[in-house]
Amino acid sequence: MYIPRERGVPPGVRWPAADPDMLRPYDEFATRMMPRILDGPRPTEIGERLPAVQLDEPAEAPAKAPSLARASGRMAIATLTSRITGFAWKVMLAWVATLGVLYDSFTVANTLPLIINELLLGGVLTSVVVPLLVRSQDDKDGGESYTQRLLTMAVTILGVGTVLSVAAAPWLTSLLMDDTGEANPQLATWFAYLLLPGLLFYGLFAVLSAILNAKQIFGPAQWAPVINNLVIFATIGAFALVPGDPTIIPTEMSDPKVLVLGVGVLTAMVAQAMFLLPALRRSGFRFKWRWGLDERLKEFGGLALWILGYVVVSQIGMVVNTRVLTAGAAGGPSIYSNAWLLFQLPYGVIGVSLLTALMPKMSRAAADNDFRRLIGDLSYGSRLTTLLLLPVSAVMAVAGTSIGIALFALGKGSVDDAQRLGQALAVSAFGLLPYALVMLQMRVFYAMKDSRTPTLIMVVMTAVKIPLLYLASAQLAPVNVVLGVMMVNSLVFVVGAVLGQVWLWVKLGNLRSKRVLGVILFTVVASGLGALAAVLAGMLVPDALGPVLGAWVKLILQGVVGMGVSFGVLIALKVDELTPVTRRITRMVRRA
Amino acid sequence: MSTSTRGGSLAPGGVVGDGRYRLLAQFGIDERAGAHLWRARDGQLRRDVALTMLVGDPADAEAARLGRRTLERAAHAAKFNHAGVARVLDVLSLGNGISSSEGLLGIVVAEWTKGTDLIDLVAERPVEPGTAARMVQALAESVELAHQSGLVLGLDHPQRLRLTPDGRLRLAFPGPLPDATLRDDVKALGAVLYLLLTGRWALDGGPPAVPAAPRSPTGRVVPARSLEPRVPQELSALAVRTIEDGGHGGIRTSAAILRVLDEAAEEAERTQYIAKDPNVDTDGGVWTTKKPVKDAARRRKLALGVTVLVVAVVGILAWLGMMAISFFQDDSGSSGPPVNLADPTPTQQEPPPEQNQPPPAPPPGNGEPVAPSDITVYNPEGEGDSVANAARATDGDPTTIWRTDEYQQQFPTFKTGVGLVATFDSPLELAAVKITAVSPGTNVEIRVADEPEPALDATQVVGSGTIEGTETEIDLQEPTSSQYVIVWITSLSGEEPEFVSEFGELAFLPAG
Repeated sequence: MYIPRERGVPPGVRWPAADPDMLRPYDEFATRMMPRILDGPRPTEIGERLPAVQLDEPAEAPAKAPSLARASGRMAIATLTSRITGFAWKVMLAWVATLGVLYDSFTVANTLPLIINELLLGGVLTSVVVPLLVRSQDDKDGGESYTQRLLTMAVTILGVGTVLSVAAAPWLTSLLMDDTGEANPQLATWFAYLLLPGLLFYGLFAVLSAILNAKQIFGPAQWAPVINNLVIFATIGAFALVPGDPTIIPTEMSDPKVLVLGVGVLTAMVAQAMFLLPALRRSGFRFKWRWGLDERLKEFGGLALWILGYVVVSQIGMVVNTRVLTAGAAGGPSIYSNAWLLFQLPYGVIGVSLLTALMPKMSRAAADNDFRRLIGDLSYGSRLTTLLLLPVSAVMAVAGTSIGIALFALGKGSVDDAQRLGQALAVSAFGLLPYALVMLQMRVFYAMKDSRTPTLIMVVMTAVKIPLLYLASAQLAPVNVVLGVMMVNSLVFVVGAVLGQVWLWVKLGNLRSKRVLGVILFTVVASGLGALAAVLAGMLVPDALGPVLGAWVKLILQGVVGMGVSFGVLIALKVDELTPVTRRITRMVRRA
Repeated sequence: MSTSTRGGSLAPGGVVGDGRYRLLAQFGIDERAGAHLWRARDGQLRRDVALTMLVGDPADAEAARLGRRTLERAAHAAKFNHAGVARVLDVLSLGNGISSSEGLLGIVVAEWTKGTDLIDLVAERPVEPGTAARMVQALAESVELAHQSGLVLGLDHPQRLRLTPDGRLRLAFPGPLPDATLRDDVKALGAVLYLLLTGRWALDGGPPAVPAAPRSPTGRVVPARSLEPRVPQELSALAVRTIEDGGHGGIRTSAAILRVLDEAAEEAERTQYIAKDPNVDTDGGVWTTKKPVKDAARRRKLALGVTVLVVAVVGILAWLGMMAISFFQDDSGSSGPPVNLADPTPTQQEPPPEQNQPPPAPPPGNGEPVAPSDITVYNPEGEGDSVANAARATDGDPTTIWRTDEYQQQFPTFKTGVGLVATFDSPLELAAVKITAVSPGTNVEIRVADEPEPALDATQVVGSGTIEGTETEIDLQEPTSSQYVIVWITSLSGEEPEFVSEFGELAFLPAG
């Protein structure tokens, strides 16, 4: 079998590990492709041909390798901490606020700054501006004027965007929320008024961390989200203490709970951005208003447009998603957002680390037009993803309810809501593998400098998603809408995965899909056995333990049994792809 | 290309060989011999030829001697006939086809080889190992044949070689160096193989357009395999062992090369057969400007078909999935809004007024329900309570509901009540109101008013009751005529800390 072996530092590694937000596959394109152009040979004489194969990395790279490895290790810790704390505060909020109308309104309002930032800056920033930022470091002034221009532009756009969106807050919440259900647009609007000013700081954080990264300073940007989450922890503590219930109508925006939560989260966003300022100052950068566009930005017009299209389409899908959820029973949006976080978790750990290892090689192969190697890596990545994620999704499907209850039925959270969350997770668990595959395939398209196909695939996915969402809303009882929505989301990724594979085949020819399908088949069998074993194991847990303790016992038991049986069967079936993984794990264990 | 200026008048459009050959395009320079490689047009026979022009000062006796030696060797080669070497058509020397004013020492005229420049071939990416082996094979055969008759071909320069349309390498610009040996030809075979595999030239004197092969600190050429991991071990070793002088295991004859090449090509083709896709080369480039070949178009059509199919299948799956969700959720008994799970015994229920009549048997004499022209939330002491959904209570569908907000305390702590006001086109002789709702314990009053938005005090209670079961009919004490009827909730369903009531459907039954 094909085991990619590449010693030394992969070409793109000086850029930080993949962004945890996996709905932005275009990030990878930005981070992996451009450095190669930077490192690439410059034609010394006009008319002279570029050599087909350059010498391997410049001599300085090996010398830098150890520190880079250490830096990426530290970065991994920071990323993991920020993700865990980020998830923790959402669970804690469910404990104190319950998965009800208040949490729904907060969830909807809290996504507003993120959506607007993504539309205003996000897509273009990650795909075009940041790579150019890296390139501008070679300018005569060390990129200072480019950075000043970028910051001036970003602050202006964000400032205007913040003012406008705060003014349009009622309209925005009514766009996102369907008031025919149990949702409370009024409450969401109050939260929006409090949270939307955070747009400025959220966007600023993105820009500042990009600037720091371009200057090879990775630490602060990785740790700032942790600061953000710590502030939110404190906010949730205060929220639990203050009196009042904003869901009673009529109420005021000055309800202590609304104020505490809104202002606290806003403060967290401010703190996150401010945390980067000292580091930026230390790096020697001084801000000055500097207007005008950099000439180099024009090269990327088309690319930026397609990526913007991708962002817009995916946000349309998200808006409809939220509307359908708010039209359902109370708790829909908050259950969905937490279930989705849980759904992503295995991918966030396994998929991202796989991508981080594979993407530089794939980008390199794509840039060299070496499609054989590209296909090899793609197929290898798909097979490995399958092997690692399918057993997890089998366990998730079996133990979903236990996961929900174990995590969310604490504090004021009700077992019913937690159970619904778990069921939402269980019915969508099958989508984990398609989801991971879509993210892998989209990155391959971007690595091939094709930003159009991902956007078109996204268009098809959204076109399938919207009618299905409305079908769910029409067919299901309001309480079950959230289950339907999660299932539709998973199904849409099945569409995406098949489309991605087919269109990659159109572009690249034989993708060795047979082999991938073979591995999927083996893994399905193994995971099925694992799921069966997990169900049986679950029956052993007595009901007398009480819902939460019982759920924990069940979860742990089913997790261990399910995974153990799945991987046991896979090893017994002698699946080739597992050998390097087991070898790597044993090596890691030995090293630790 | 600094040397191109040394060629004096050599430029496209210029003529050489006493005006017989018109220069078309330059294909390279072998700087070791000052040989300029051009494609030219034979003005007399009207065909394209490959010219190897030796540029030099005729006054320089040494240069002239070396030039003559090359021409002699080329003339020998004219007798040689093999597909791997372009046929030498003519050899022009000073005074014999070339005038001294041309700045040339001699020209070797060979037939023009159609195909691709070898350097163009490797400029984009190295060649597949199997293909590379096949390409070199043809060349190695001709070397083998030439060596049997003692001829030196002089193929030790990449720009002298071209790839024919049928995938064989060919010496397109003959004219060996004056001091070239048989061994040089063999080494050149290794170097060409190395070039195809890695895109680098491993011998001295290569053209500037091709990067030189990297060398290890000991001066040995780095194996092709370490530059391109996919190169099989045998080919990599063959290339390096052929290029290297001395040492053990060196390959010195073309026969030996041929043997290894044969094996390697077969082996490579066996292992790559599955993955090899001829289309990859032609239309694989995503940013290529070439028109896609037919096969790609067919694939695209097929892909569109698959897209439609998948969308359809997923649509069906989604529908089935939703059926399954409703089925299992209803089955498990946890369906319906959570408020319905609340204890049906109301906590602070007013004693039901005398006329309260439990669900069954609508009293005879009531007419068909009359639909109101408008229904809105009647909320004289506050706001909210699903204002937008009021119409759902009279839409004829009991599954769509109007619901109050959720209250933490029972009425009248927060406000005395909330209700719906129905407006009729003309005054209605109302006898009863039938309420379809799952809000056990809700106390309801039927009030009539003279205007659509009256104060509560200005309305008149004409009937009251408590909702039990799913259908409750509240009969009026006596039929009352009014254009505005209010269904007023005085206490909500549910218990501490969540009180909420809902109406699935309201039917206003007239008397008679």
